[in-house]
Amino acid sequence: MDLAAKLAVLADAAKYDASCASSGSNKRHSRDGKGLGSTTGSGICHSYTPDGRCVSLLKILLTNFCIYDCLYCINRKSSDVRRARFTPDEVVQLTLDFYRRNYIEGLFLSSGIIRNPDYTMEQVVKVARTLRVEHSFRGYIHLKTIPEAAPELIAEAGRWADRISINVELPDLQTLAPEKNIWRIRTSMTVIQQKIEQSKAERRESVKAPSFAPGGQSTQMIVGATPTPDRAILAQASTLYGAHRLRRVYYSAFSPIPSASSKLPLIAPPLVREHRLYQADWLMRFYGFDVAEITSEAQPDLPLDVDPKLAGAVRNVASFPVDLNRAPRELLLRVPGLGVRNVDRILGMRRWHRLTLADLTKLRVPLSKALPFIVTADHVPKLVAQLPAAQRQLDLFVPATT
Amino acid sequence: MFDGPMDAPAPALPTAKHRVPRAFVDMARRVACHRDLQRWALLYRILFRLTHGEGHLLNIAVDPDIHLLVRMEKAVRRDVHKMRAFVRFRTVTAEDGEAWYVAWFEPEHYIVEANAPFFTDRFASMRWSILTPDRCAHWDGAVLHFTAGLTRAEAPDADAVEPLWRQYYANIFNPARVKTHAMQKEMPKRYWKNLPEAELIPDLIRQAPGRVETMLARSHAQQTPGDSK
Repeated sequence: MDLAAKLAVLADAAKYDASCASSGSNKRHSRDGKGLGSTTGSGICHSYTPDGRCVSLLKILLTNFCIYDCLYCINRKSSDVRRARFTPDEVVQLTLDFYRRNYIEGLFLSSGIIRNPDYTMEQVVKVARTLRVEHSFRGYIHLKTIPEAAPELIAEAGRWADRISINVELPDLQTLAPEKNIWRIRTSMTVIQQKIEQSKAERRESVKAPSFAPGGQSTQMIVGATPTPDRAILAQASTLYGAHRLRRVYYSAFSPIPSASSKLPLIAPPLVREHRLYQADWLMRFYGFDVAEITSEAQPDLPLDVDPKLAGAVRNVASFPVDLNRAPRELLLRVPGLGVRNVDRILGMRRWHRLTLADLTKLRVPLSKALPFIVTADHVPKLVAQLPAAQRQLDLFVPATT
Repeated sequence: MFDGPMDAPAPALPTAKHRVPRAFVDMARRVACHRDLQRWALLYRILFRLTHGEGHLLNIAVDPDIHLLVRMEKAVRRDVHKMRAFVRFRTVTAEDGEAWYVAWFEPEHYIVEANAPFFTDRFASMRWSILTPDRCAHWDGAVLHFTAGLTRAEAPDADAVEPLWRQYYANIFNPARVKTHAMQKEMPKRYWKNLPEAELIPDLIRQAPGRVETMLARSHAQQTPGDSK
C-alpha cells in the first residue's frame, strides 16, 4: 500500500476524534534557525472541511489495526474496515512536509492497539521523540495515550507532547467497550494531572526543567450512542474540569459508522444536540454556570429548540429583568444574548455612559433574545414578570414593545 | 511617508507631554495597517479626544469613533490571523539547488510587514518568500527584506506534497455531518482560489449524501437477523 493510500485509511479512521486544538501550550519559536516551528499560545485553524470542522493538526492514526473490540469504534477488531499501518518515520516525514508548507500547526497522533498497549505506546512516543529530538520540531504535538500503557511511557509521552488525551468515550463505557475501564481512565488522568502540576512547579523554579504536556489534557465523550441524558454527560464533564483540571472536554455526536455493531443505533442524534452541549459546556467554563442551573431532574436533556442560556433564563424568570446599568457581572452573564466580551464592555463604560437599546444594537446584542430580560435607560420589559416559570411560549421571544 | 530613511533632522517637537493608554497605541499600530483611507483621520481624532479631557474614551465601546476603531482593529487582526492560517508554501529550486518555499497570498489590509515576524519565528530554518499584490516578504535564512508587490503569475502553481495534503483533507472530512455554513464563516470563498485543498469542496459536498447512504445500507445489511457477530 503506498503512502497516499495509507493516509486515506488512517485519516479516515481518525476523524471521529473531534479535537483538533493547537492552543494553550508554551510559547516557542525557532527564530534561531536551528529547529522548525513555533507555538503562539492560541491555535491556528489552517483549513476547514465541509463538515465545518477546523483543520489545525495532522490528525491520523499510526495504525487502525486493533486488538480491542469497542463496539462504538470503527476500528474495533470485529469491523471489516480497511486496515493500514504507518511506520513512525512515515508519520515524521508527513508532519514535517505538511508543516513546512504551512498546512498544519502540528500532529495529533492516536493509534489502534497492536500487540499490546506498551508496544503501541512505544511506537507513538517514538514518533514524538524523533520529531522533537532529531528534527528539533517546535510545533504542536497532541498524543492520545493508552491508559493501560506503562507509566514510564506515559511520562515520556508528556515529555514530548503539548497535550495529552485519554478519551472517556462513553459515560457508560463498560457495556460497549469491554476492555476499557472508566476507573483506570480516571486513575491515568490523575497521574497525568499530577505530572502536569509537578512540571509547572518545577518550571517556575527553573526554566530548564522539562515540561510535561504544557497544553494540559483533554478528553472526548460520544453523545447519542447510548441513552445517557445530557445532565449526566454535563455532570461528568464538570467533574473532569474540576477534579482532573482538564483543559477541554469534547462532545462528539455519535456518527453512524460503516460496519456498525448491532448494539448501536443506526441513526445519528441531531447535530444540534452536540451544539447545545458545547454551549452548556461554555456556560460552565466561562460564565460560572452550574450543571444544576442548565438542566433539571425533570428535564435532564437540553432543549434542542432554544439555547441553554435562554432556556435557563426562562426557568429562572424570577431573577429577571436585569438592569444593565446596575447589575453585577454574574447577573449580566446570565442575560440571554449577552456574551462575555459585551458584558465586559458594558461594565467598562457604565461609569460614564447610561446604556440604551441603540447602544446594544451597536454592540450587536440580539435584541429579540435579550429584551424580555433587561432594563436599560429607555426600556423596561412588560411581559416577563407575569410569566409562570415553566412557560416556554413563543410570545416570550417576540420583542416586547417599549 | 514610511519609505526610506529620513535624512532631514526631525522638527523640534512641542514640549507638552501627553499620555495615552497603552491599549490605544497597540490598537493604533494595527489600525494603521487598515486599507481604509479614513484611518489616519480617525486615529488623529481619537488621539485628540484622549488628550483633551476624554481620557476614559476607550471604555465607551458605543462611541462612534471607538466603535469604528474597534471594528477596524478587528478586521486587521482577523486578516493577520487568516494570513498565518492560509499561506500555502510551494517549493521551487533555488540557484544553489536547494529548496526555496514560495507562497502567494492576497491580504485585505497592509499587513505583510507586520506579519512577517510570525513567519521568521516559525520558518527561520527554511528560505522563503511570501508574495502579495502589495508587498513581498523574503527570508534568505539570515535577513528579512521586503520588495514591491507582484502578480499571481510570479508565484509557483504546484507542489509535490499537495496531492498528499488533498488526500488528507478529503479523508478527514466526515460526510455524515455536512455544515457548509460553518465552514464558509471561517473560510470565506474569497480565499479558496489560493488554497490547494479548496478545489475538492464542491465534490465532497455533492458526494456526501450518497456516501452516508451507502454506509448505512452496508450497516443495515450486516444487521439483518441471523447475523449475530
